[in-house]
Amino acid sequence: MAGPRLTEFKKLTLETVQVGDEFVSDDHLVIPEDIEAHGFAVEDDHPWLAEGVAPPTLMANQALHLRHSKYIVHAGLHARMEFSFVEPIKLGMRVRTRGKVIDKYERRGKPYMVTEYVTEDDAGRVLVRGQFTQMIIPEPEAPHGHAR
Amino acid sequence: MATRVEPKTAVGQALPPLVKDVSQRRIDAYSGVKPRSIHSDEAWARQKGFRACLAQGMMSTAYVSQLMVNLLGPGFARGGTLSMAFIKPVYAGDRLTAHGVVKDRQSENGATRVVVEVWVENQHGEKTAVGHATGLVS
Repeated sequence: MAGPRLTEFKKLTLETVQVGDEFVSDDHLVIPEDIEAHGFAVEDDHPWLAEGVAPPTLMANQALHLRHSKYIVHAGLHARMEFSFVEPIKLGMRVRTRGKVIDKYERRGKPYMVTEYVTEDDAGRVLVRGQFTQMIIPEPEAPHGHAR
Repeated sequence: MATRVEPKTAVGQALPPLVKDVSQRRIDAYSGVKPRSIHSDEAWARQKGFRACLAQGMMSTAYVSQLMVNLLGPGFARGGTLSMAFIKPVYAGDRLTAHGVVKDRQSENGATRVVVEVWVENQHGEKTAVGHATGLVS
């Protein structure tokens, strides 16, 4: 009998990451605590909960962490982030982010990867899309954990 | 017929800045507390050459999002854009100020897209993130 399908995690380097690599996050139910915690973290006192809507960047880390679904990320630096806010994220939605590596390159001796992403609700409606650039910092000389 | 220009979205208009105190507690709430993370493990951050834990650059996108929501309300959450480059580290204990200046107004499908140059600077006046944001005024 076949066992469960397991993800094989590779160490993230400029060599292991491939243009065309695809990622998908877990589903996330947007709950009041998410909006409260975000409000505390960034000192945002807009009445989002009363409006039943989330701050536009609420799910940004779901996109940023996509590469962790396939790779062991020793460290990284977030270099650039782009958002296009298509529809508001609402309280009670189940949201998921998909991503695809669209470029990788070395600049001034530093490796970078570029990922395009789309965050959708459980009906497949696009909420946010964009792309981001992350520096890959391989072991051992790098600081660990930025953007984790 | 000339389009009426809302005073607060006139080209050249500076948005009311937002001041943010980036405490470790707020970084923890944003990024989560994890071992061997330069966001939440100060000893580890120092070991890696930083003077304190670092805030995620993404926190600055949230500050700029607030600037734009204050300016445009729903016209940012539906139809807005934001693009930022993170150019300098932000440390726990820093005080940041998010700024914006309206640079352009463009007609778009019967509405007006407002283009804002945005940046975030620290208590030393150093820019930590730069970019631009847009949103719609109906």
